[in-house]
Amino acid sequence: MARRPVAPRLGRAFLLAFFSVLFVLYVAGPVAWLVSSSLQTEAEITAVPPNWLPPELTFANFDAILNAAERQVTYETRRQGDPATGGFLPSGAANLIPSLWNSLTVGLWVAALNLLLSITAAYAIAVIDFRGRRATLYTVLATRVVPDIALIVPLFLVVRNLGLINTLGALVVTYLAITVPFTIFILISYFESIPRDLYRAARIDGCGHWGALQHVYLPLSLPALVASLTFAFLTSWNEFVFALVLTQNVAAQTLPIVISGFVMDFTTSFSFVNAAGVIAIIPPVLMAVLFQRYIVSGLTAGAVKG
Amino acid sequence: VSATGERRPGATVRRRFAIGYNDRSAAILVFPVLAVLLVVAAYPILYSFWVSLHDIVLTRPLRRPFVGIGNYLRIFEDERFWLAVSRTTFYTVVTVTATTTLAIFIALLLNDAFPGQRLLSVLLLVPWATPSVVNGLMWKWIYDPTYGLLNGLLLQLGLIERYRAWLGDPDLTLLLIANAAVWKQMPLAALLLIVTMKAIPDDLYRAAKVDGANVFQRFVHVTLPALRPGLMLVLVYETMISIRHFDLFLIMTQGGPGDASFTLSWLIYVETFRSLRFGTGAAMSYVLAMATFLLSWAVIRWLGKRI
Repeated sequence: MARRPVAPRLGRAFLLAFFSVLFVLYVAGPVAWLVSSSLQTEAEITAVPPNWLPPELTFANFDAILNAAERQVTYETRRQGDPATGGFLPSGAANLIPSLWNSLTVGLWVAALNLLLSITAAYAIAVIDFRGRRATLYTVLATRVVPDIALIVPLFLVVRNLGLINTLGALVVTYLAITVPFTIFILISYFESIPRDLYRAARIDGCGHWGALQHVYLPLSLPALVASLTFAFLTSWNEFVFALVLTQNVAAQTLPIVISGFVMDFTTSFSFVNAAGVIAIIPPVLMAVLFQRYIVSGLTAGAVKG
Repeated sequence: VSATGERRPGATVRRRFAIGYNDRSAAILVFPVLAVLLVVAAYPILYSFWVSLHDIVLTRPLRRPFVGIGNYLRIFEDERFWLAVSRTTFYTVVTVTATTTLAIFIALLLNDAFPGQRLLSVLLLVPWATPSVVNGLMWKWIYDPTYGLLNGLLLQLGLIERYRAWLGDPDLTLLLIANAAVWKQMPLAALLLIVTMKAIPDDLYRAAKVDGANVFQRFVHVTLPALRPGLMLVLVYETMISIRHFDLFLIMTQGGPGDASFTLSWLIYVETFRSLRFGTGAAMSYVLAMATFLLSWAVIRWLGKRI
């Protein structure tokens, strides 16, 4: 092939660089600002014009969150403001770390149970030709048509009647209702992309459905399985409305609930809220970055067959 | 009984109704999911439909008469409902259009092989992984009227003369919330489009080049038509997400200023949890669910024909 002339190549490189910079600014800029302002004191953060970068790195906000349990937040101390940050600590500050553990616990349970439930159902729908196959698929998908807000009141009543209000278990089961239909959809697409001949060979070798699932479908679906795990954990970590209604105190409140309390409390120190935001962003972002390759191939394989 | 009674209780009858290995296995494999969904999805859905047919107000707990479609008729006469419909429509159109357009550009960029492309692909997942509460507080902080970065940036660039209360401007509120939503929703849309683009055969581009098509023509006549399945999925998914979005409205504006961000999901929240009118709240949810369903169907039909 003939070499392309230099000018267009340079033009292309320039365009790519230009759009790459725009992309980075747009995607990473807001988060970078969140991190930057979490590393400033309240005085620095409220400067006009704003300090784009911390004039002096301070971890006082993170320190305030990690050690919030040891500090008494009373009316008097709130009025004086936090000596470290110069701002106001919200009264719920001590709940942040416990809620982080709650979020983590719920997220891991949801990720695990979601996968276990979805794998078997997706295998049955994708591979086995059984009566009511389409009906099962449509039933599962149809549960996601009604908006979440419509389900809050009845779910609250179900959970209350079971005596599970303000428990992590109630959140886990509720979140499964959100994640399972989508996961089944993803896994079906993935299972269907696995050559049918492998299934036939396994059956001829004497495998039952359980054997075929175990020896053929699971080993070949690693990307979809990892993507499903990540998706379920992220969904659980992100969920807000159900947790708002189903939890009441630090025994079961998740991170978004505690943080939203800070945001809506107008006296809260900005630097403190930003530090809380940074803490809430770290686990899901780490997970997404770590599993990036699996997420892309797993979540999207077969999803756009047309 | 006379004719069929003669037949041996065998062959055809048993074959038609026998539960084979496949059916038995499938039943066992599907049962756990159906059991869970029955409790946490199907039952609440049916229950809230039952609620939507009754006049249930929590401040008057003992009297809950059956009103049939009364609640539905009542909300169609409610001015707030139509206001919320117009706000939701505006928000959804802006969010879906912006997300899809941006996703196409990002997909075009990341579908190219160049140094650093890997890194950008990883970076793309950061907004996707950001919890919506943090997304809300982050943009609220950027828009802040007294200390926000947006004010600082525009002032330093000389584009504004004094700080402004961005979210407090009724003309801008929905656009600013939409911007935060687009930031978080754009990665998944871009991913779906990138995967679709990867499947376009290079031959098509070469043929178009031979025919003398320029970059723009190649995009319109080769990329766009081949992108149809991905675009369809993105449009349907983003519409479903946007039309019922709630988190950002609670975190950022709570329906305000005035009624500037008074969307359907916010109306349902207020009706149910502040006015405690569960009946009309549930009816509104069902209207929203039907609208979501019809819209998705319409988008699929429209795109199926159009491109």
